[in-house]
Amino acid sequence: MKTPPTFRYGRDFEVVQRLRPEPMTEREQAAQHLIEGLEFEIFQHKAGMIALEGKETTMKLGASTAMRWGDVAFGIYTAQGDLAICATGIYHHAVLSQLPMKYIVKHWRDDQSVGLREGDSFFFNDPFYGGVHNADMGLAIPVFADGELICFIGAAVHTGECGGSEPGGMVNGARSRYDEGLLVPPIKIGEHFVLKEDILAMLSNMTRDPRTMILDIKARLAACRIAERRVNEIVSEKGADFYVGALRKVLKITGEAARKKVSRLNDGVYRQPRFLDTTGPEDALLKINLTVIKKGDKIKLCFTGSSPAIPDRPVNSYFQGIIGLAMVYFCGWFFHDLPANNGLLECLEWEFPEDTFVNAKGDMPVSYAPATQVAFAQGMFMCAARMVYSIDPKRAVGSWNSGFAVTPFGGFNQWGDPIADITPEINATGAGARPDMDGVDSAGAFFATMSDCGDIESMEADRPFVYLFRNFFNNSYGHGKFRGGSGVGFGMMVHGVPWVAIGGMGFGTRFPATLGIFGGRAAPTVFVQSVHGSNMGTMMAEGNLDLPCNMGELYGETSNETGTRVLGHVSSPPKPFLGGDTIYVPVSGGAGYGDVLDRDPEFVIADLRRNLVTSDAAERIYKIVYDKSTLRLDAAATEVARSTARDERKRTAKSFDDFNRSWQALRPKPEVLRYYGAYPDPAAVAGGAAL
Amino acid sequence: MKIRITEYLNVDLASEQWECHACGHELADARTNYKHGCLVAEVPIEEAHPGMTGAEFSFSPDPDYCRLIEFYCPGCGTTIENEYLPPGHPITNDIELDITALKARHVVVEGAAQ
Repeated sequence: MKTPPTFRYGRDFEVVQRLRPEPMTEREQAAQHLIEGLEFEIFQHKAGMIALEGKETTMKLGASTAMRWGDVAFGIYTAQGDLAICATGIYHHAVLSQLPMKYIVKHWRDDQSVGLREGDSFFFNDPFYGGVHNADMGLAIPVFADGELICFIGAAVHTGECGGSEPGGMVNGARSRYDEGLLVPPIKIGEHFVLKEDILAMLSNMTRDPRTMILDIKARLAACRIAERRVNEIVSEKGADFYVGALRKVLKITGEAARKKVSRLNDGVYRQPRFLDTTGPEDALLKINLTVIKKGDKIKLCFTGSSPAIPDRPVNSYFQGIIGLAMVYFCGWFFHDLPANNGLLECLEWEFPEDTFVNAKGDMPVSYAPATQVAFAQGMFMCAARMVYSIDPKRAVGSWNSGFAVTPFGGFNQWGDPIADITPEINATGAGARPDMDGVDSAGAFFATMSDCGDIESMEADRPFVYLFRNFFNNSYGHGKFRGGSGVGFGMMVHGVPWVAIGGMGFGTRFPATLGIFGGRAAPTVFVQSVHGSNMGTMMAEGNLDLPCNMGELYGETSNETGTRVLGHVSSPPKPFLGGDTIYVPVSGGAGYGDVLDRDPEFVIADLRRNLVTSDAAERIYKIVYDKSTLRLDAAATEVARSTARDERKRTAKSFDDFNRSWQALRPKPEVLRYYGAYPDPAAVAGGAAL
Repeated sequence: MKIRITEYLNVDLASEQWECHACGHELADARTNYKHGCLVAEVPIEEAHPGMTGAEFSFSPDPDYCRLIEFYCPGCGTTIENEYLPPGHPITNDIELDITALKARHVVVEGAAQ
């Protein structure tokens, strides 16, 4: 049996470094002369449509929340494993799936016990290769022409439940990676176009929701096989050499265009420290010290000065996942006019210091890595807004909401089937405000822009919940000249089962997750309310119409719900909820843009009419003077109020040096900093310093 | 020549100064942190983000974790930028431009235009 010399049992530390395009092969090079202008354009369009069909097929056939509502990455990869074509909004999964492909090429292609043949299919979920966390699972197939490997096709989706020590795919109490469930490196799951039932039986036996596990695998495979058929049509018509050369050319022209676009940005150093307020199981402050260095046609991401790794908490992230989330910004925003593929990484460099929680090593758990990664990605938006304004102001946008007030659950549904998953509202956050308009209300998820939050009726059909409401929340976004898009709040009651376990995953309860830009305010902090022993079921049975209908009504004095009311951090381990218990979760809005006093007063009035801003914020934040009964603006009085507010700022604020003298003497409490590292610069303890 | 850098910041290449885009007030040497030329105030976090619940968990950040600082133009009082920081955390130099490169780029562009 041939074993490649670099392989050893355990993890491959070399292959995960290979995020950038592999060197061009001789075959790819030789085929370049075949790729003519118009033919190449047609190829790109066809390949894009194949990927889009793959994404749609995966969505239509899958069972998990994420798959049904579109958190699907579908891609075509070169024979070396580079992502060339993709259809997704969840770009990180498409980009990071390169690593499993490259692993397959490196370890299994020439291994006699595994091999790589037409009709094979491979499954993977080890986050060391997938980059994020165990709940994200992928499937890939090799495609051959005349016996030669010409590409891979793959689909990656958050299936959720993965057999960890807590249900729902994200293990709050994980102390090592062995608490987090399945850890499958790329493994052959099918041969001769048939899935291996013994492997399926093993995977289904190791997770709480076997139906969803198996349906999601079959959905990925079916979509890949349809795409394989379409690829074969191209190969039949144009030849395998053309196909291989064209895939490579997509990468080549993308890389060239990316470097050209980056070179237009102003050289400089852009910084945005990011702060998380949880390790998973406990509240504590952590820092991601993001420094973006732009020089010439390169952008370098540096993380020196980030908090130390925490060996037994799930908030650590592999570095590859951070780069994956960087690609969410680059593919979806900065390079929105270029093909989304691996070529974009030719302009990106990175530096991750050892022993930081953004560079997980060893057996560290990573269940909560998505929180760390989106916190970084929001910092990327903020640095990039400062970087791009000069050349393309409309792209200098505020961050979308983090999305991370996720609600994992597990138990049995009303039909007696085992279930474990998350609720879909993560896909209903508000977009960040823009230089020319407010953020879009309930726009989606910035890291999965082709997704949505699905229908409540679909959720209720096979989940043991009744929704009490799901609608805009007028305190959910960041204020500014342009406000962030409104998020939603939702309330659910456990229904049809004796009990179910519900937890929370996210950040932003003590330190806001989604910060504004150019003076715009952050979206408020968020928390979860649960009511145990609630009378909600009784009130509904009585036909009581006086029930809370939105988040705002929960916190006034109007709610007549009784029971044991508990408020807590959005991050919490699963706890039992009995039938009739209720839970209320804000999935918040986008960041504000610009000075609140620059907001067009009529925009504030319009928001008042739609109940998208409170009267308190209209008066106190935006300094609007208006008639409360008619909502008629008093423009002159508003101008006076705003002018007075500006004068007040000038009168009461201090010079930088005066302010800094007293500011620097402040410190958070020791318990807040127990995982932070040296304060304020965690790098200082190691003898270094942040950039 | 003035280059727009953000919603509220220009760099004057001739004088190498940060200036307020809204009123033209000169803020600071463009090779330093523009915030050095701003007026600075901490906005009480409960004012910026009212709690609504009256409890430990609310819609207001925990002041042990997070404070809000705003940077105003001394000329017109516009909020040029803000920062949400833990108490005492150093204020960030968030835009450190390579002014020499910026000048070289625009000299070249101007030359080409002529």
